[in-house]
Amino acid sequence: MISFENVGMRYGMGGEVLSDITFRLERGSFHFLVGPSGAGKTSLLKLLYLARRPSRGLIHFFDKDLARIEREELPRLRRRIGVVFQDFRLLDHLSAFDNVALPLQIKGAKRVQIADHVEELLSWVGLKDRMHARPATLSGGEKQRVAIARAVINKPDLLVADEPTGNVDPEMAMRLMHLFVELNKIGTTIVIASHDQHLVETIGAPVLSLDKGNMTYHAGGKPRDPDETGAQP
Amino acid sequence: MNLPFFGETPVFLPKDQAGDGLLPWVIGVMLFLTGLATAMGLALGQGLDRWSEGLATTLTVQIVDADEGVRARQTEDALKMLRATPGVAKAEVMADADVMALISPWLGDLPIDAGLPVPTLIHVELDKAGVVNTAGLAERLRATAKGARLDDHQAWMASILELVAALRLLLLGIVALIVLSTVAIVIFGCRAGLATHRDSIEIMHMMGAEDSMIASAFDRRYLLHGLVGGLGGIVMAILVILALLHLAEQMGQGLLTASLPGSGVLWWLLLLPVIAGAVTMGTARITVRRALLELV
Ligand SMILES: Nc1ncnc2c1ncn2[C@@H]1O[C@H](COP(=O)(O)OP(=O)(O)O)[C@@H](O)[C@H]1O
Ligand SMILES: [Mg+2]
Repeated sequence: MISFENVGMRYGMGGEVLSDITFRLERGSFHFLVGPSGAGKTSLLKLLYLARRPSRGLIHFFDKDLARIEREELPRLRRRIGVVFQDFRLLDHLSAFDNVALPLQIKGAKRVQIADHVEELLSWVGLKDRMHARPATLSGGEKQRVAIARAVINKPDLLVADEPTGNVDPEMAMRLMHLFVELNKIGTTIVIASHDQHLVETIGAPVLSLDKGNMTYHAGGKPRDPDETGAQP
Repeated sequence: MNLPFFGETPVFLPKDQAGDGLLPWVIGVMLFLTGLATAMGLALGQGLDRWSEGLATTLTVQIVDADEGVRARQTEDALKMLRATPGVAKAEVMADADVMALISPWLGDLPIDAGLPVPTLIHVELDKAGVVNTAGLAERLRATAKGARLDDHQAWMASILELVAALRLLLLGIVALIVLSTVAIVIFGCRAGLATHRDSIEIMHMMGAEDSMIASAFDRRYLLHGLVGGLGGIVMAILVILALLHLAEQMGQGLLTASLPGSGVLWWLLLLPVIAGAVTMGTARITVRRALLELV
C-alpha cells in the first residue's frame, strides 16, 4: 500500500535527517518503528502522514506516486490516515468529546452519528467521566487517550502513532495496544513508533529500526493481541 | 454558530475573539468616517443638481442706467421683447424691495428711497433649459434697450461647478484612503489571528480538512466583524448627520440645510456595513488561503 525507495529528507538547508530509506508497508500490516531519540522516527512519520514531502526518493501512497499527487488531492488522502502525535496536539479550547469528534465532522458525518460514536469510543478508553473536560484539565495519560481516540474514530486505512503509550501505565498501554491490534484486524495498516522494548516484544510484530537516519528491517510475526492483560470492552 | 449560507462546518476556533477584539471598533471608526464623507459627497451632488437645474431655466436681465426715466422706458421695451420671444414662459420686474434685499448684504439696510440708483432686475423663466439661444438674446436685448445686460449665470455657475467637482474628488479620495486602510488593518488583524490559531489550523489541515473549510471559519468571523463594526459606525454617522440637520433647521439657514444630505441619502448609507462585511470577509479569505498554501 505504501512504499519508500531511497527516500531522503532534510529540514530547510540542514543535513539529511533521513537517508536512503527503503521499505514497503503492505495493506493491513502492523509495524513498529524503533530507534534512539533523534534517530528520525518522528520525521519518518511526518512523511507517512503527509505533513511533509521528501527531499529526494520515491514514495508511493495508496499506490500513487506521491510526487504526482496534486495538493488538492491531499486532504482526501489525509482523511484516510489517523495520527497520534507525540505531543498529542489536541485543540485546547475544545472538550475531549469535541476533539474526538473533529475527524468525523471534517468528513461531514451527521451530528447524531457523531455523538454515539464518540461517546462509545471515549468510554472504551476509560474517559467516560472526562468527556466534557478541556485538555488543560486532563493528565498526560488522559490526553494521550483522547489523542488516540481521535486518531482511530474514523477507522482509518493507515494509523500512524508516535510514542502512543509513553504517558500511560503498563496496563493502559496494553489496553491501547489491544485497540490497535483490533483496528489492524479489520484492515487498518499500522505503524507505531515506540522505544518500549517490552511492548514491542509482547506484540511481536515486524520492526523498522532507525539509527542516525538509516533504516534496518527486522522481520516479525502477526501482531499478538495482549488480550489477557485485561481489555474488557 | 452555523450560518446556513456556510453549511455545517466544525467549530475549531475559540469562541472568544482573542486577538481581534479591537477589529470591530476600528472598522466602526472607519465606517463612521466613510459614512460622513459619502453622505457629504452624495448631498453635494444632489444639491447641485437641484440648484443648477433651477438656474438653467432662469435668466436675469439687468437694466442699468442712472436716469430713472430712461431706465423705466428701457425696462418696458425689454419686457415687451422678452415676452415676445418664443421659449420664454415669464418675464417680470422684480420689486424694488426684493432687489434691495438682494444687495443689502453688501450695502447694508438702506431705505428704498435713498436716491441710490438701484438697477432694475427682470426675472425671466424659460419653458425648459436650453430653449433660448442666450448669446443671440443678449444681442437683441442690447439692440432693444441700451442698458440691458443678460446674465445667464453661466460664468459663476461654472466656477461653482468646478469647486464642487473638486470637493467631490476630495471626498472620493478620502473614502478610497479609508477603504485601503481598512483592508490593511484587516490583513494585519487576520495575520495576527492566524498566528494565534496556527496550531489549530495545522491540526485541522493534517486531519484532512480542505482549505475552504478552514478558511470559512475565518470568513464567518471577519464577515461578522465587518457587519457589526460597520453597522455601529454607520449608525453613529447617521445620528450625527440627523443632529446636524436638526440644528440647521432650527437656525433656518437655507444654505447649510442644502449642503447637508437629505434623509433619503441616509438609507443608502446602510449599504456600507454590508460592503464592509464583504470587504473584510474577502480580505480574510485571501489572507487565510495564502497562509494555507504554505502548508504542504
Ligand atoms: N522541525 C525541525 N527542524 C529542524 N530539524 C528538526 C526538526 N524536527 C526534527 N529535527 C531534527 O531531525 C532529527 C530527527 O528528529 P526526529 O525525527 O524528531 O527524531 P526522533 O523522533 O527519532 O526522536 C534530529 O536531529 C532533530 O534535531
Ligand atoms: Mg520523536
